[in-house]
Amino acid sequence: MARPCAVVGIGQTQYKRRRDDLSLDGLVREAALRALDDAQITFADIDAIVLGKAPDALEGVIMPELSLADALGAVGKPIHRVHTAGSVGASTAISAAVLVESGRYDTVLTVTYEKQSEGNATWALSGGKSGGQGAGGTFAPWIREYIRRSQAPEHIGWMVAVKDRRNALKNPYAHLHLEDISIETVRESPMLWDPLHFLESCPSSDGAAAMVMCAQDKVSRSPHPPAWVLGHAKRTEFSSFPGRDTVKPQAGVDCAAALYREVGITDPRRQIDVAELYVPFSWYEPMWLEGHLIAEEGEGWKMTDEGATALTGDFPVNCSGGVLSSNPIGASGMIRCLEAANQVRGTAGDYQVDGAKVALGHAYGGAAQYFAMWIVSSEQQPEFN
Amino acid sequence: MRLWWNQPRMAELPEIDFTLEYPYTRTTGPIIGPFLTGLRDGRILGTRVGDRVVCPPVEYDPATGATIGPEHLVEVGPAGTVDAWTWVAEPTSKHPFDHPFAFAQIKLDGADTTMLHAVDAGSIEKMTTGMRVVVRYHDDGLGTITDVHFVPGDVPPAMPRPAAAGDADPEPVAITEHLIGVRIREPLQPHRRRFLQGLSVGRILGQRSPADGKIHVPSRGYDAINRVPMTEADDVEVADRGTVTSFTEITPVQYHGQTETEPYIRCSILLDGADTTIGGIDIRDIPIDEFRVGLRLQMIWNDAVGRGEVRFDDVDNRSYGLTEAVYERWEPTGEPDVDPELVKEHNF
Repeated sequence: MARPCAVVGIGQTQYKRRRDDLSLDGLVREAALRALDDAQITFADIDAIVLGKAPDALEGVIMPELSLADALGAVGKPIHRVHTAGSVGASTAISAAVLVESGRYDTVLTVTYEKQSEGNATWALSGGKSGGQGAGGTFAPWIREYIRRSQAPEHIGWMVAVKDRRNALKNPYAHLHLEDISIETVRESPMLWDPLHFLESCPSSDGAAAMVMCAQDKVSRSPHPPAWVLGHAKRTEFSSFPGRDTVKPQAGVDCAAALYREVGITDPRRQIDVAELYVPFSWYEPMWLEGHLIAEEGEGWKMTDEGATALTGDFPVNCSGGVLSSNPIGASGMIRCLEAANQVRGTAGDYQVDGAKVALGHAYGGAAQYFAMWIVSSEQQPEFN
Repeated sequence: MRLWWNQPRMAELPEIDFTLEYPYTRTTGPIIGPFLTGLRDGRILGTRVGDRVVCPPVEYDPATGATIGPEHLVEVGPAGTVDAWTWVAEPTSKHPFDHPFAFAQIKLDGADTTMLHAVDAGSIEKMTTGMRVVVRYHDDGLGTITDVHFVPGDVPPAMPRPAAAGDADPEPVAITEHLIGVRIREPLQPHRRRFLQGLSVGRILGQRSPADGKIHVPSRGYDAINRVPMTEADDVEVADRGTVTSFTEITPVQYHGQTETEPYIRCSILLDGADTTIGGIDIRDIPIDEFRVGLRLQMIWNDAVGRGEVRFDDVDNRSYGLTEAVYERWEPTGEPDVDPELVKEHNF
């Protein structure tokens, strides 16, 4: 049986198109030092460090876990590197939790980042060749297939784009603060990859995110309420094979089912109070509501349409503004996990969901083929009815 | 039936030779920025960390991770002592000199740590551990580590850019650019070689999985789902026509090496007889509002195939498309569409 693990420190940088005031070392340290400060501990209290980021080609810094080790206070301590494409932020959080749960380390610092301004993600994802289709170009046909199957009306994507950006206005760390966004501005923005408009797509951000996690007997050392890690799951599948369902990948279904089983959740929509889902393109909100068993097939878009996923809805999604508002790729999944923790700790500021006790953090990566999810709670053993 | 195997005019296939390269930028930050600015302008900076001076400087105490601010920057050098060295007898184009030189760990006067840099010593006999070396600034410094080199001795350097010495406060170095790349050379895998040679004579070759009979085009040389290898005995030919299973209209993002400027369609096609799709097929001459999942298309081979003059300039082991080296375009066949429901599991 794994021993309990809690998030006791959270640190985020300001997310921006270019952090021209900070080196890469400085960027990861800004998040790490804020997480340590939040937990009221120092590097000296850390037993192990887990670092995650998306492909090294994004910045052209190869094996950054080596060059960043000293900057993260890792001298004489183990440092681990995690890489699972876009889902890496959540995979990294889970790897850090496992190191505590296993009993091997009492206090773990985990840091993820991307400094997208130092390279070009579309170049990197195109293997350095001309004619790349980019992430949006890869996902667009699957979004159209979702729309075909579900018969969802076209305004659903626009609604998600507006909702997440309006939520971001409440989040001081968010990259995009689009005061004037509306259904009309989204609809009228340039079409990038049909049906995705410019304003339905994530930005390119610099930023880092960090958490301190520790074992139960170290929790009282930190002043803020802990977020208990109730369970987590990761699943993977090939990008392309005969019979693959790209709209509702089996690995995503299995990941969610395993997570809910581990935590004891039988009715996710009712028993989870708030979710941070990895939604880099607007339509992925309804797609993951269905793909992760929160809504029945064909019903996810209705949750969006009815306002259930709004900050004031019964299943708020991406109260922080989500990936649509800040996208330092390697950190984006960790931000979902730490914003889930913020909600159950009551530290989510202006986008706090009142009384949130159980929260879901989620990320996906690659060609919608890597999944990592966790559930955190203000209570160590909440009762699910 | 076209001739193909052992056919005399099958294309010559080059070794894969690809350079992956990008002009990355680096934000220098509050410590490395002043350090690089100093190299350009004629001084070497370290940081004071407790009772030690660290050079090159860092933003934090390397032992504890504690923050070290720019108020701790101090000047060191210009001379120092060689702690360790190695001789570069055959420099490459990436090295700072085109003649033999040394890389050395240099402990600059006033510093407690060493900096790795190049010593232009003339010959290996001049190099010794413990020797004195001194910096030389380049007149055309840009604010990079290669703005300087070292020479044997103690003679103080001239300041860089003497003509520009009167310039009022040149900009500090905040962002640097570096063309970073790697050249990759590898042989074509055997299944890949047969696939490309088939294309060069007008045949599309797949492989039938011995596990479940499904035909993979192009094949990876193994069935990833059933985890079984496939060999030449599993090669089969499929049709040069098929059904659109997925498409995107691409608005090209302008990045280093991108040559596309106008929107175009990228699609996946399930060839008749195949169970996997070929992807990334460029469509330039079918209007977007006529393009759809289920559309039937025929590949039009180019003249080079007919003449046996196909040239593969850009081959690899991994792409899942067909190379434009062999086709002119894809044309609607005029057949009725295939129901999208029937190809939904092929929409990668």
